[in-house]
Amino acid sequence: MSESFVEILTEWDIVEARQLGRNEAKRIGFGAVDQARITTAISELARNIYLYADKGRILIETIDMSGTKGIKIVAQDEGPGIEDIRLVMQDGYSTSQGLGAGLPGVRRLMDEFDIQTTVNEGTIVRIIKWLR
Amino acid sequence: MLSMVSGEVDAFTAPSLREELLAVDIQEDMLVELNLSEVSYMDSTGLGVIVAFYKNVTANKGRLVLVGLSQRLQRLFDITGLSGVIHIEKEGAVNDHERI
Amino acid sequence: MTNEIKKQYTMLLGQYLQYQTERNLYLGQNFSRRLVQKDITPEEVISIHKDSLAEIYEGSEEFTDGMKNALDFLTEFMIQYGLALREHKILLKNQEEMDHELELAANVQKTMLKTTIPTIDGLSIGSISVPARKMNGDYIYYQGDSKRFVGVGVADVVGKGIPAALCMSMVKNGLDTLGQPSISPSYAMDVLNRIVEKTDNMFISMFYGRYDVVQSTFTYCSAGHEPALLYRAKDGKFIELESEGLLLGVLPDVHNQERSVQLAKGDMVIIMTDGVTECRVDDRFLEKSELTDLIFKHKDKIPQQLAEAIFHEIEKLSQFQNLADDLTFVVLKKEDD
Repeated sequence: MSESFVEILTEWDIVEARQLGRNEAKRIGFGAVDQARITTAISELARNIYLYADKGRILIETIDMSGTKGIKIVAQDEGPGIEDIRLVMQDGYSTSQGLGAGLPGVRRLMDEFDIQTTVNEGTIVRIIKWLR
Repeated sequence: MLSMVSGEVDAFTAPSLREELLAVDIQEDMLVELNLSEVSYMDSTGLGVIVAFYKNVTANKGRLVLVGLSQRLQRLFDITGLSGVIHIEKEGAVNDHERI
Repeated sequence: MTNEIKKQYTMLLGQYLQYQTERNLYLGQNFSRRLVQKDITPEEVISIHKDSLAEIYEGSEEFTDGMKNALDFLTEFMIQYGLALREHKILLKNQEEMDHELELAANVQKTMLKTTIPTIDGLSIGSISVPARKMNGDYIYYQGDSKRFVGVGVADVVGKGIPAALCMSMVKNGLDTLGQPSISPSYAMDVLNRIVEKTDNMFISMFYGRYDVVQSTFTYCSAGHEPALLYRAKDGKFIELESEGLLLGVLPDVHNQERSVQLAKGDMVIIMTDGVTECRVDDRFLEKSELTDLIFKHKDKIPQQLAEAIFHEIEKLSQFQNLADDLTFVVLKKEDD
């Protein structure tokens, strides 16, 4: 199992997180389209951190569950948190602006999605894509 | 405080005008002048926003003055009885008005 | 499943690359319909395209690395595009659902606000009220069941759409509580004003009139409403029923004045909302004189037909554009001597 992370402070850190994710996805054996999807999901999460939380990090790890390999990404920040998770997870919310915009898209790109958030403390998003 | 409203104020644009007016921090004895000379059209939704703003200004002990009303707009304020309640400067007097 | 699609796409693309015929294009387009049905995303389509090309040009130099890279770039590019497209589809579906709910709400509103035109000797009444959108922010209220008095209220909530429409039941309940047709119009307005003033930033313009069959007088009060018209049958002229009332809901303690006019046979009182005067004809608004000309043209119709005729004329004048505002038109006509 490998695990690595990128601190998100500037916009270029988003690019670095993308690169790290793509390399990892390729190494695990994901096809080109899935690599692009995983990278896009990472990009969205990193952008959320960069734009709304000032500080946070993206953690990328390879996982293996009884033989099935996958990639797990954890985005963690100490930002403002999200008040109404159900609202931001609603389809159609991506069109709006603000923290959480793009999360429905991220969920659609990945196989598993989990979010924990506390107002004024921060947000943790965990996403997984399995190699089929 | 001076503010200029321009364009068409209707059901589509009124919400953004409402937002902007809500952001105005009204203090006691403050004179707020709303210039409507660039308003080409205002429907009842827009009128509602102005009346709500008037109520907000008076509730905070400020004063509201409307200036630059077109004839059609003046008629709207006359018919609704609002010209008897909200202070409206007639054209010409606008320039002499002491601005704060 | 994806393999099956890839195989078929490769076949169709191969055929087209060989023979650029309309038939082959048509087959390709039909196939794309199937991809849409199967929810294949744009980025997948590009990926399939790339794989197909690689297969078709296997062993040849024609499918260059540059072209491959360009397709990879496009794949990446289309992911966001695909997400937006899905989002769009979902929003459309949401809107359909919302439209349906609105339809139901509009029906509930109709039932809740139902009021019937009273019949009384010597006066005939007709009306039309058409919402600009699904729900009506205009409202006509009648007070009947009396041999002597008839009350008619026309209210227009400032603003449009659902919030305005929801506000209407307040007016109805207020007037219902006041009870009888003999009630003084200015008193009715004062009470309604106190009710409306307690709500947050809801304003209503309202005209309320009461006809007394015995005296043949029409007593009215306007709270910031579009002036009603009085048609004098004797000289064929129109008079505006002036009144200086304030919109309901602006100030807590307002006393609106009421006035009376004497009606003679054939005289008509025409109450309307600003949907009539705000109606756009070409690039301007409907003139009062145009309106009175129209009424004059149809003056011999019975009030209900007159109201409908005026609406159709206005529809025609505005070239059947969507109404800018809810439009209401009420006609009261004194029939006897």
